[in-house]
Amino acid sequence: MPGFTHLHTVSGFSVRYGASHPERLAERAAERGMDALALTDRDTLAGTVRFAKACAAAGVRPLFGAELAVDGPRRQEEVARGERRRTPVRGGAFIDESTPRVTFLARDGARGWADLCRLVTAAHTAPDTPLLPWPDNHADGLTVLLGPDSDVGRALAAGRPDRAAKLLAPWREAYGDALRLEAVWHGREGTGPGSLRLAARTVGFAAEQRIRPVLSNAVRYADPGQGPVADVLDAARRLVPIDPTKELDSGEAWLKDPAAMLHTAERIVEAAGFRREAAHRLLEQTGATAAECLVDPEDDLGLGTVHFPEPHLVGAARRTAQRTLASRAAVGMVLRGYAGRRDYWERMHDELDVIAYHGFASYFLTVAQVVDDVRKMGIRVAARGSGAGSLVNHLLGIAHADPVEHGLLMERFLSRRRFVLPDIDIDVESARRLEVYRAIIDRFGTERVATVAMPETYRVRHAVRDVGAALSMDPAEIDRIAKSFPHIRARDARAALEELPELKALAGEKQRYGRLWELVEALDALPRGVAMHPCGVLLSDASLLARTPVMPTSGEGFPMSQFDKDDVEDLGLLKLDVLGVRMQSAMAHAVAEVERTKGERIDLDAVPPGDPATYRLIRSTETLGCFQIESPGQRDLVGRLQPATFHDLVVDISLFRPGPVAADMVRPFIEARHGRAPARYPHPDLEEPLKETYGVVVFHEQIIHIVHIMTGCGRDEADRVRRGLSDPESQGRIKVWFAQHAAVRGYDAETIRRTWEIVEAFGSYGFCKAHAVGFAVPTYQSAWLKAHHPAAFYAGLLTHDPGMYPKRLLLADARRRGVPILPLDVNRSGVAHRIELVSDSRSAVRSNSPGVWGLRLALSDVHGISEAEAARIADGQPYASLLDFWERARPSRPIAGRLAQVGALDAFGANRRDLQLHLTELHRGARGGGGGQLPLAGGRKTAAAGLPDLSDAEKLSAELGVLSMDTSRNLMDDHRAFLDELGVVSARRLREARHGETVLVAGAKAATQTPPIRSGKRVIFTTLDDGTGLVDLAFFDDSHDACAHTVFHSWLLLVRGVVQRRGPRSLSVVGSAAWNLAELAELRAEGGLEEVAARLARPVPEGAEGTPDGEGDGDGGDGDARDPARAGRDRSIRMSTGYEMHPWADLRPAGEGPASGRKLWHQSPGSAG
Amino acid sequence: MTILCVRFQLPPMYEAVLPGLLGLLEEFTPVIEALPPDGALADLRGAERYFGRDAVELASVIRVRALARYGVDCLIGAGPGPMLARMALYDARPGMTCAVTEDAVAEFLAGKPVTALPGVGTATARTLGEYGLDTLDRVAAAPLSTLQRLLGAKTGRELHERANGVDRGRVVPNAVSRSLATEQPFERDELDPDRHRRALLSATEELGARLRALDKVCRTLTLTVRYADRSATVRTRRLPEPTAHTTALTRAAYGMYEALGLQRARVRALALRAEGLDSAEQASYQLTFDPVDEKVRRIEEVADRARARFGPRAVIPGTLAA
Repeated sequence: MPGFTHLHTVSGFSVRYGASHPERLAERAAERGMDALALTDRDTLAGTVRFAKACAAAGVRPLFGAELAVDGPRRQEEVARGERRRTPVRGGAFIDESTPRVTFLARDGARGWADLCRLVTAAHTAPDTPLLPWPDNHADGLTVLLGPDSDVGRALAAGRPDRAAKLLAPWREAYGDALRLEAVWHGREGTGPGSLRLAARTVGFAAEQRIRPVLSNAVRYADPGQGPVADVLDAARRLVPIDPTKELDSGEAWLKDPAAMLHTAERIVEAAGFRREAAHRLLEQTGATAAECLVDPEDDLGLGTVHFPEPHLVGAARRTAQRTLASRAAVGMVLRGYAGRRDYWERMHDELDVIAYHGFASYFLTVAQVVDDVRKMGIRVAARGSGAGSLVNHLLGIAHADPVEHGLLMERFLSRRRFVLPDIDIDVESARRLEVYRAIIDRFGTERVATVAMPETYRVRHAVRDVGAALSMDPAEIDRIAKSFPHIRARDARAALEELPELKALAGEKQRYGRLWELVEALDALPRGVAMHPCGVLLSDASLLARTPVMPTSGEGFPMSQFDKDDVEDLGLLKLDVLGVRMQSAMAHAVAEVERTKGERIDLDAVPPGDPATYRLIRSTETLGCFQIESPGQRDLVGRLQPATFHDLVVDISLFRPGPVAADMVRPFIEARHGRAPARYPHPDLEEPLKETYGVVVFHEQIIHIVHIMTGCGRDEADRVRRGLSDPESQGRIKVWFAQHAAVRGYDAETIRRTWEIVEAFGSYGFCKAHAVGFAVPTYQSAWLKAHHPAAFYAGLLTHDPGMYPKRLLLADARRRGVPILPLDVNRSGVAHRIELVSDSRSAVRSNSPGVWGLRLALSDVHGISEAEAARIADGQPYASLLDFWERARPSRPIAGRLAQVGALDAFGANRRDLQLHLTELHRGARGGGGGQLPLAGGRKTAAAGLPDLSDAEKLSAELGVLSMDTSRNLMDDHRAFLDELGVVSARRLREARHGETVLVAGAKAATQTPPIRSGKRVIFTTLDDGTGLVDLAFFDDSHDACAHTVFHSWLLLVRGVVQRRGPRSLSVVGSAAWNLAELAELRAEGGLEEVAARLARPVPEGAEGTPDGEGDGDGGDGDARDPARAGRDRSIRMSTGYEMHPWADLRPAGEGPASGRKLWHQSPGSAG
Repeated sequence: MTILCVRFQLPPMYEAVLPGLLGLLEEFTPVIEALPPDGALADLRGAERYFGRDAVELASVIRVRALARYGVDCLIGAGPGPMLARMALYDARPGMTCAVTEDAVAEFLAGKPVTALPGVGTATARTLGEYGLDTLDRVAAAPLSTLQRLLGAKTGRELHERANGVDRGRVVPNAVSRSLATEQPFERDELDPDRHRRALLSATEELGARLRALDKVCRTLTLTVRYADRSATVRTRRLPEPTAHTTALTRAAYGMYEALGLQRARVRALALRAEGLDSAEQASYQLTFDPVDEKVRRIEEVADRARARFGPRAVIPGTLAA
């Protein structure tokens, strides 16, 4: 039995074409006895790295290639001949797929790979769809397969061997001996692609032209029976439904085994009129072609080797990079005042030695160069990640925090025993992230810099949409089904239908949709598009373009590598993560506002540490808007932990991670901190590293210390050990090793056992202290701003919207904290939110100060306003009259109307409706061209027209509609009377409620999460805002049947629940029943309380009293025993670290997140907006 | 309250039944204005006296007959004028005709949203809503001059009158009431132009045969293309001369279809309506020197006779036979 190599195989990375993942293809090739396999994706090499790794695992030799759309040498005239079709009135034009496609295989090692990258990059320079221009279509290191889809193949299909011969000539000229003709038989009729006659003609034509033929199967999927999936992908690509009466996928394009391919070859050569033995010749030719293609993943792709930018680009022109780095670090020592500290000098030299050992000096210089450039542009920049543990980074100005002072370890970042690329992330202002990218590209040049790709893959919602459209389902129905799913993997679609309570209704009609579910699951995780990764930037030497294919990003036109972030690491490309952090932008805006108004320059990086007002604020848990500590869980934790120092913040941030929460590290820590339980150490030697966290292991650094102290192995080895802990296999080995070495050091068996327990339990998912310090710096800075410059802080938050909460909630918070909210005013508002001194005499007298700083709302928040329009309005200030405003600011009619609705034009006349009428007439006059009569009277004021003014409710509605915020008052105030009737407890009064009391609470939904928690169950956490404060709710899974759907799909909620208290500042409500408050309020308004009573009397599915255990640190172990009936609850995901997770936890739930303002208000055709 | 507004509860793809149902109404009064796709206005001023029953009673009779003869239920509103009858229809439920009497008009209108008024579309309603004039009593209370400033002189005046219950409309028998329609649904989203044309050909065959059987000619053809997302495109074409000749109808239908230039539009149904029916004797016919035209008509005549004898599918074009 001869072997066979598939030379033409596409994976799912051929977007909406290939139906199998590269891993699956490699596995199948090995199973079916093939020694080599080529991956030739359409227009992309993105699957290469995953394919190479999968091949290595499966024991198959990988061949690399791509299938590209090519422009013929004489294509122009053909285009001119084609007639132009009429533009359709509906539905759009067909997707043009008529360009011939040709398969290129890298043959000649690194040269072949570089040629392949060049061709793919060139193809992506075409204006819309990728198309390889003919002048670029030449390469010495490539083998070319002309298959049925090439121009030559098409001529043969058309029965024109003469034309085929003519078309072949330029190919022969460009590629000479490396040209192959590819025969494919998919059992189709006729002479088209996949037909036996075309395959036979190809083989015959090859013999006649003396070009070697090869056999391929043009593989689109790994296994037989995946034809329908290919049909769905075709339909999704062409944007048409599947037409079963037309030619569908043949079902033959799977990865056939050698025997089947031999059979195919025999049929083809017989049809071509040769003897059957010629089939072996055909297979031999195919095998020989495969054997020529020698590209080694390690040597030629550069897997596992590193390429830094050339030293002369990073300031090391005459000296070596290492020397330059050393002298810059020394300069840093002096500048930062560490010159007299011997320990600093020693540490610096140690680190430099490690860097020299790896030869990473130019990497550090590169990052330092980027950080310097960014800082010179006036953009806030901060380092995060384990890089903060390096003193050299601190000295170069990359990281702010002093690693010696905070006890951060270099070994966690880089050591002689770590051979992975070090990783420094830098945070910049999100609003100016693209500027930073441009600066980096300008500094190093496009031949060295590229952004990183991020494939978007099918998840359940998109899969439902695409399959539904392909199956001709009703669009409204598709939309309904797709939206009712949470954001889960497509392959879990049917399991979710079975198990999730909020999908019960949909599960009932499951059978109606036939093949839908099967096909949805088949699309799981296939790429459906590619986007720019939000933070990765590749930096390399000038050979970058020879090692990675680059395409322009759709929006900004940045060069983007086709590889994703994991791929580039494997390829040894240096990736710098430049994260846009909105909080940095918000803080920058706040600082700029303070400087603009008060002339006071705040250096946030130099604010006094340990500011009492700041910590008072944090301890009060009113931390909305503060970086990292604003989520409901964090507010709860902060309330219990009561941080008083920067170190407490670091610990707080580290504790609030899935790992520590799951491992129940929080409760012992809190107990010990407040002196309720003594801090315990396994051995006095370990007191030193564990003292800072009262004996609880929180940081990776502590594990490193423990292992180092107990075994004396050195900290670099200890870090390696720590990494090994997350893998259950190596954990066993480490346990033995640990016991042996600790015993040698003289520790008794009991100590070793107890220490190992700690190491084993916490080691794998503690938090890196360097990360936490990096996080805690902006946390403290933002809290400081909130405590000292609240108005400016809110202005920054509202402008850059950094947090998890909707803007209206921040506004409510500002109102609660006594920051005056100043309405939108075209004469005062800027493009961004601003602060203003409120010179109101009353408030001045009351607060006994020169005045209060208020928050002036921004023009940019008006729905639909463009940047240019907002800037034009702001530039033209002040305006004397409505006419003046209309003529100089030239707002569009709808924007002007919206401004009038929210009172931004109130200065020009009293009545907002009259203003509307005047605007309309101005608009008509302008359109008429004549200007016409001015409908103004009484000088600068606008005359009244006698229309009724907006009522209060209408004003509020307008604010929500136009600004998505309730700016004049809280929207819940309007429901207050009804809520009092119901006996609802307000958030403020809830603070006095007793533990275990059953209460009713209500409010607008601010956030909903289903995070992974320790008990392995799914808990829905929801935050409601009722104007007096926030109410944090938890729904446990016994109430999900009754509540889940309501909670996910309503904006205003009324909830019955039981108060849970776990500390003076820690309070939550465990929900047992939930109603849509908007619906109830409507019933109240229309039918009175009787109607409401009737609605409430409607039976809620039973089993709903809230259980007082479970959340976070509660005990949840007995959950499954108590509730055995539900199949889905039994299925939980066991993490490698040993704790269980509910399969549906940690997903973005269905519904559309927190209410966005416009949806919070009923909309009648009569209400404004 | 002598005007009825009837809405038949037809499934969306059965517009073709409407002409038959209109025929049912014509048994009561000749003054009928069709409101495609599923409604009609009927003026019963004469009928009340003729049948000796009032409009509400006649409404029950109409409903019973529609159910008995066509199996189609209907909603009926009654009022003194067409506008009020239409508005009454909104409040009607199956089996309960909503009737508005002359003296209860103001009461009936108060509190209704402006969109309830026929002729006030979303655009006008939005304009009025922007100025807080969202109910009819508010509009009625607003000064005429303000309304005219908002909507223009004519529209403002008309709106003002109608909001005050002045109903100047009449029931005008229209072309659609004398029309024939056929609808060709597809089983799935259909993109294939060949199959679209086939459906059109089948539709014109059917319309032509029905017209010729009635000895009628039509003046206008209307093509409605319904899409998967429940939207539709409507095109109307006036024929060069009134005709019942299938070839001419087909040419017009194809012309309208080609002009749409559809490519990826997901077509769910094609409906064709022949409007402006007239008796065939009164139609003029442009003679030509082209003998083909004459021959085609002769063949059509023969085919019609064959169909009359052997059933409607005895003779059909080759493309439809496949």
